[in-house]
Amino acid sequence: MRGVARACLVAALCACHASPARAQSSASSDGRIEIAVGASWVGPLSFGSRDANETTSTLAQLPLFSASTRLAGAPSVEGRIGWRLSSTLMVEGDASYGRPELQVTVTNDVEAGLTSSSVTAAERIEQFTVGGSVVWYAPVRQSSRFAPFLTAGGGYLRQLHETATFVQTGRYYQFGGGLAFPLTSRPVGRLKSVGVRIDARGLVRVDGVAFDSNARIAPAAGGSLFVRF
Amino acid sequence: MRRALAIACVFALSSNPAFAYLKFGVTIGGRQVTLKWAQTPVRYFVSNTSVPGVSTDGFLAAVGRAFNSWQAVSTASISYQLGGITNALPERDDGLSTLGFLNRPELDRVLASTSYLIDASTGALIESDIFFNSAFPWSVAPAGEPGRFDVESIALHEIGHLNGLGHSALGETELREGGGRRVISSEAIMFPIAFAAGSIAGRTLKADDTAGISDLYPAAGFAQASGTVSGRVTKDGVGVFGAHVVAFDPATGAMVGNFSLNGQGQFSIGGLSPGPRVLRVEPIDDADVESFFDPSQVDLDFRVLFFDRVVVVPRGGDSGQVELRVVRK
Repeated sequence: MRGVARACLVAALCACHASPARAQSSASSDGRIEIAVGASWVGPLSFGSRDANETTSTLAQLPLFSASTRLAGAPSVEGRIGWRLSSTLMVEGDASYGRPELQVTVTNDVEAGLTSSSVTAAERIEQFTVGGSVVWYAPVRQSSRFAPFLTAGGGYLRQLHETATFVQTGRYYQFGGGLAFPLTSRPVGRLKSVGVRIDARGLVRVDGVAFDSNARIAPAAGGSLFVRF
Repeated sequence: MRRALAIACVFALSSNPAFAYLKFGVTIGGRQVTLKWAQTPVRYFVSNTSVPGVSTDGFLAAVGRAFNSWQAVSTASISYQLGGITNALPERDDGLSTLGFLNRPELDRVLASTSYLIDASTGALIESDIFFNSAFPWSVAPAGEPGRFDVESIALHEIGHLNGLGHSALGETELREGGGRRVISSEAIMFPIAFAAGSIAGRTLKADDTAGISDLYPAAGFAQASGTVSGRVTKDGVGVFGAHVVAFDPATGAMVGNFSLNGQGQFSIGGLSPGPRVLRVEPIDDADVESFFDPSQVDLDFRVLFFDRVVVVPRGGDSGQVELRVVRK
C-alpha cells in the first residue's frame, strides 16, 4: 500500500514538470508495465417493472400498485495494471469499487394516494468488479500528442446488499475506447512516463442484483492517471 | 387427554379480511405451541355423502386435487394419505379427519369450516374435520358452473386450515348492499372470503400460501435457503397492533403478508426467498375487525406507508429489525 502511495506521489510530481510530448510512441508505447488509478461514472441500469397483482374471480389480474426497479448511476474508483505486448497491444487487469443505489419506485397505489405521485425505496449496494481487458492503440502520426485506443474485456461482478447479509454475483463485459496522452515522458529512474487516460465504454452486465440473466448495457466514462515503467 | 379447540375456521360468503398466513398456536402448560401435525402423511377420510351436482366420487376427486396442490409445494414437507370413504361425518371427535357435507342452513354465510382436535399435553393435531355446507349449491365441474361454488377451491382453503394455517389478508373487498362484503380480488387462497359462485379462481396456491406452508412444514434445507423480514410498526413511537404488513418482491411481483401482533407492533414474515423486498403497511380499515381482533387494541388511524428502504431477506436469516413509522390519517 505504501508503494502505491509513493508511485502516485511520483506521478503527481512528474505531472508538475510536464513537457511537450515527443511523438505517438511516447503516448502509447513508453514502458512495458502500466499502473493506473482513476474514477468512472457508470450509468443506471433498469431492471424493469412489476405489478403487485391480485387475482379476480375471473382469473384476471388487478394491480394494487406498480414497482419499477433500477440500479442508479454512481461513481466508482478503479485501478488497473497493464502489460504491453507490443507497440499497439496491451493486456490489463482491473478492479473497481462503487456504491450504487438499488431503487424501487412505487406508483399507482390508490390506497396510498400515489395515483399521481410515487415513492422510492432504496438501498446502497457495495459493488466490486475484477476483470481483464485487451487494449489496442491505433497507429497515429509521430507528431500526435494523443494515442487513441480501443478496449474490450470482461470480468466478475460481486454486489453486496446494504445489510451485508446477502451477496449476488454476476459478470460484466465492456467495450469502448478513448485517448491516452502523456503529461511527461522524461524518464525518472525506472519510470518511463506519466499520463492521463480518458475513456468511454459500454458496460454490459449479466446477473448480479438484476432480476434475471438478461444482458443489460450501461454507459460508463472515466479518467485515470497512469504511470509506465 | 384431548380437547377440541374452541375455534373453527370458516370460509365465508362475506366476512372480513383476517390474519395473514398466520400459524395457529395453542397454549400448552403456559407456553405457546404452533398448531401442526406431528406426523405425516396426514390421513384423511371422505364422508359417504353427496349433494345435488356432486357425487361422492366427484367430491373425493375434487378434494384429492386440493390435497395434491398443497402436497406439491416443493419447499414444504407435508403429505397426505386417503384413508378411504367412511360413513362417519365431519365435526365428530372420532379420531378420523373427515371431509364431507353437512346441512347447516342456519350458517347462512358459512360455506365450509374446519375444526380441530388436539393433544392437550403436546399441542399436536390429532384430528381435523372439514364440513362443506350443503345449504349452498356446489359443483365439481372442471370449468366451474354458474351459480355453484367450486368444491376444489373451497377445499384448498379449508385444507390450509387443516394444515394449521390461519387466514391471509391479501385481498380487496367492497361493501355489498344489504351487508357483508364482496371479494374484488385476492392473492392468497387463505383469504377468508370466497369468490362468487361459479368462479374457479381459488384452485391455485399463491406465494403467501406457499410461504406459509413452507414455514410451517419446511422441506429439508428450506430454513437455510429462505429468510425472514421482521420489525415493528410504530406510530408516534408507540407500537401499532393489527397493522397489515406486506413484503413485495420486485423481482417476481409476489406478495407475502402478516400482521403486527402485539403491543410493541412486532411483526415477522417468514418463508421468503432471499433478495430485496419493498414493505407496505396498511390499516385494516376496510373491514370489521371485531371478528378477529379486539377492536380496543387495533389501531386503524394511520395512512398506508411504503418503507423508504429496500429490505433484504438474507439466506437462512433475518432482515434485522426494521421500524415502519406510520402517521395518522
